[in-house]
Amino acid sequence: MIWLDMCLIAIVFMGVIVLGNNRLRTTIQLFAAQSFLLCLVPIMILPGFHAGILALETFVLKVVLMPLVFFWAIRHVSIRREGQPLISYGHTLLLGGVLIAGSFLISARLDLPVKISSNLLVPCAFSVIMIGFLLLVTRFKAITQIIGYLVMENGIFLFALLLLEKTPLLVEMGILLDIFVGVLIMGVIVNQINQEFGSASTVNLVNLKE
Amino acid sequence: MQKNLNIYRLRYMLILIHFLIVLIFSPLLLGIIGKTKAFFAGRWGAPLLQPYYDIFKLFSKGNVYSVTTTWIFQAAPLLSFVCILVSCLVLPFGGIHAPCFFWGDVLLFAGLYTLARFVMVIAALDTGSSFEGMGAAREATFSCLAECCLFLNFIVLALLSKKLILSQMVGGDLSVSWWTDGPALILVGGSYFMVLLTENARIPVDDPQTHLELTMIHEARVLDHSGWDFAFILYGSAIKLFVLGGLLVDVLLPLDHQPVLIQMGEFFVGMVILAMGIGCVESSMARLRLNRIPQLLTGSFILALVGFLVVLIRGV
Repeated sequence: MIWLDMCLIAIVFMGVIVLGNNRLRTTIQLFAAQSFLLCLVPIMILPGFHAGILALETFVLKVVLMPLVFFWAIRHVSIRREGQPLISYGHTLLLGGVLIAGSFLISARLDLPVKISSNLLVPCAFSVIMIGFLLLVTRFKAITQIIGYLVMENGIFLFALLLLEKTPLLVEMGILLDIFVGVLIMGVIVNQINQEFGSASTVNLVNLKE
Repeated sequence: MQKNLNIYRLRYMLILIHFLIVLIFSPLLLGIIGKTKAFFAGRWGAPLLQPYYDIFKLFSKGNVYSVTTTWIFQAAPLLSFVCILVSCLVLPFGGIHAPCFFWGDVLLFAGLYTLARFVMVIAALDTGSSFEGMGAAREATFSCLAECCLFLNFIVLALLSKKLILSQMVGGDLSVSWWTDGPALILVGGSYFMVLLTENARIPVDDPQTHLELTMIHEARVLDHSGWDFAFILYGSAIKLFVLGGLLVDVLLPLDHQPVLIQMGEFFVGMVILAMGIGCVESSMARLRLNRIPQLLTGSFILALVGFLVVLIRGV
């Protein structure tokens, strides 16, 4: 119980560090660490075969394969840092704090039909979703945006753990596979953006082609 | 009447013991940090007792005062030293209880540090040097941000223990509730550690070793002090590290329901580990760029904020 709480807090904390970080390598490593903690959560909630398989596939996909794809991508397009984001890092962090506070407040009012194993699960899930959202909105580099999207997905995964007993394994495997294929495709797209414009920034994508 | 007198005597003894512990052990922490850094650098390093020698050396020297300074400049080091020394009275050191406590002494604790900083800042401004003025401005800015985090931490601790007395907020019931409030305690500990590094001018915020103009914060402020005054400043900063570090150790180490000697031992081992931890942080990190320090403190603030929310969600 206490370990579950610690784990959830650590997941949110990793998200906060990602918000204040501008090195892409560290960001990817932090995402991997966050996913590692994430794959421990189902085992803690409901030890058993179902949770074990879920943890294993999360581990393989999110801790091993996806970071590998990202590392390949940043090596390929040779970028190391996020440039100037839309909102400065300090303000992003502050905004993140506000969003975390908001998600704690909102989830205190939620009336959930299922039994919750820890009363931090829902607020933390919301916070991680919000952090991912903030990353997605404020950063320009395509890779950081993908990581933002994946952090958001981590939050949704946490939220879906409420229904751990009821979701068939096949569905969860399907979701994770979809995300992995999505990441692969996005990796290729980052490469294409880089080839077309000479940088992996999505700022170039606002103009229509004449 | 006789009994009252004895109680008073006991009280004075306790205060004296508290002062002695702080005065004797505080420079040792700096020595341990230095040794740890030397170990990481692969050197033998200065002796463990070097800070004592430094302070002794400075005390045996005379003072030099610039003609542009006034009495403020001369009074400030002693004043800030006394403020910092007195602040240790409201904090328990392991098994040794705090000799003074009253409702709301948390504010006194923070206030004494602010007063110490205030006199040092006006002393720096008193020299009329633009360089020291810059140091003073930076110091005031960052400590202002750090204070927000510090008070949020105190709020969390107060909510956990339902007290406003520092010695009861950090010891006692809190260690029993470690198993239920662990996450909040960890968050407060992390947040407070960053405040500790900022307040004591350790590496991610300020480099105590460097004498490079552009990067200095605390060092720039004390550039004109010499002799006795500088010894007071050095000693004061060592005591500050000891007292603020002691607060962290008190918060994080469960020290309840054990013989006093074991509690003392645990406390001092905790302090040594803390000093080594600071040494590790200093060896493994570079100093942050000046405009990224507020970001670090924002991070610390968010940690404390999440801790606050976790406590609220658990139900006060």
